[in-house]
Amino acid sequence: MRHLNRRHFLGAGLLLGASALLGKETPSKPIAIPQEYTPPIIAFPEKKPMVAISDRPPLLKSAKGREIFTQAITPNDEFFVRWHLPDIPTHIDLNEFRLEVKGSVNTPLSLSVDDLKSKFEPTEVAAVLQCGGNSRKYYAVTGQATHGVQWDHGAMGCAIWKGVKLKDILNRAGVKESATWVGLNGLEKPAMDETPDFFREMEIAETLQDQIIVAYAMNGEDLPYLNGFPIRLVIPGHFSDSWVKMLSEIMVMDTYRKSFFMDVAYTVPDNDCECVVSGSDFEYKRKPIATMKVKSVIGYPSPDTLIKKGSRVKIAGVAFDQGKGIKEVMISLDGGKSWSAAKLGQDYGKFAFRPWSFEWEPKTKGDFTIMARAINRIGNIQPLPDEIGWNAGGYQYNAVDNVNVKIV
Amino acid sequence: MKKILLFSLLAVSTLFAQVSKPIEMPYVEYPIESGDHDEIVQQYCLICHSFGYVLNQGKKSRPYWKGTVQKMVNEFKAPIGKEDQQIIVNYLVKHYGYESQPNPSGH
Repeated sequence: MRHLNRRHFLGAGLLLGASALLGKETPSKPIAIPQEYTPPIIAFPEKKPMVAISDRPPLLKSAKGREIFTQAITPNDEFFVRWHLPDIPTHIDLNEFRLEVKGSVNTPLSLSVDDLKSKFEPTEVAAVLQCGGNSRKYYAVTGQATHGVQWDHGAMGCAIWKGVKLKDILNRAGVKESATWVGLNGLEKPAMDETPDFFREMEIAETLQDQIIVAYAMNGEDLPYLNGFPIRLVIPGHFSDSWVKMLSEIMVMDTYRKSFFMDVAYTVPDNDCECVVSGSDFEYKRKPIATMKVKSVIGYPSPDTLIKKGSRVKIAGVAFDQGKGIKEVMISLDGGKSWSAAKLGQDYGKFAFRPWSFEWEPKTKGDFTIMARAINRIGNIQPLPDEIGWNAGGYQYNAVDNVNVKIV
Repeated sequence: MKKILLFSLLAVSTLFAQVSKPIEMPYVEYPIESGDHDEIVQQYCLICHSFGYVLNQGKKSRPYWKGTVQKMVNEFKAPIGKEDQQIIVNYLVKHYGYESQPNPSGH
């Protein structure tokens, strides 16, 4: 077996093939790694420098940490990135790009981005995009660490998406009566043909909901490449694994296609609490993750912030749910013994981040734990950290957020 | 090895398939520890993903890493022979994991 030399991999991915030809070389000196790895902060195309959890496939989060969640709308150049497969086109020619609508339809369509913009009625929705595994590192605070990249709260954002209703596209093509499912696929591809492709499936009834759109604009601009240029699916209220990026194919089907990412990867236990005993393996009946759960995240202050006694602190953050709308965000400064209502900020719609703030003038020195707990309009309330149900994949974390600060 | 080379060349051709003004993706360094046949780990894992996937998971148990390598083979169809699977699992447990009990200073 030949050695592949690390420096060639690290120098340039393109040399991967060439490096295999070079033969065995002496391994370099071991590099010490810290106990907890800190990913580098790197500028990617159309992005400010971001925390690069992976470059291939790209997994990026804002370098601002929690502070990005003091505003209702997340800027495009700081919006998180998460792809699943390594081969992503680095250029899209809009003259050639087409969204194909095929399968069980009366009239197959081949739509350019210009067609979408000029031949359909535009629609807009402000909606939270959140990875199913967002915040999963906090499962380890009260239970076993879960599978997967240990995201903090960084795998979410909220944008104003503009595009075309999915149902308008399907109606233009004419869905046949035999159709039951719609498969949605994008241009990201695996390195090997044998690897399962990343696609989503939705029941026909689900695709007819008004809020589901094929978006060509994000916060008034083209989508950044890394967020799915030129078009992506937007399913407000749903976790982001369904929001197919670089959407290129809508396949109307008469039967369900088995899919690794829906049937195996992004799943939770198929029971009422969607949970199992902490530390269990995946040996349970599963169902795909779908709608998001009520959640709030403290944007300011960050953990370990020093605050001067008597100063006025504006605690701020965002809250959201599956699309019922946030009713109230409660703040506790005494470890959960008493709670007071935060002031809710501008309402961008029921699928968006609802910004909130709370004025605090700490009068005594010492350590304080700030907690934030959201309740939605149908009475869903965030569980406390020691109440949250555990799952092996670390999905759907939504326990009450808390931040420790020191008053000096 | 021939197969691996082929995959790599395919990856290169996709990258240049639609040239006019492609975005330029940076290459990020994710250094992993040397030794214990890290070259085999590199050869297979890097076909599909960076080592960011390993480094950002925290230390994991032997059953965890074994299950993860099996997932790569069974679900993602990584072309890793039985012997090399064992080498990769041993490497990950030694450098990015623990044998049985969770590391108290880790996660």
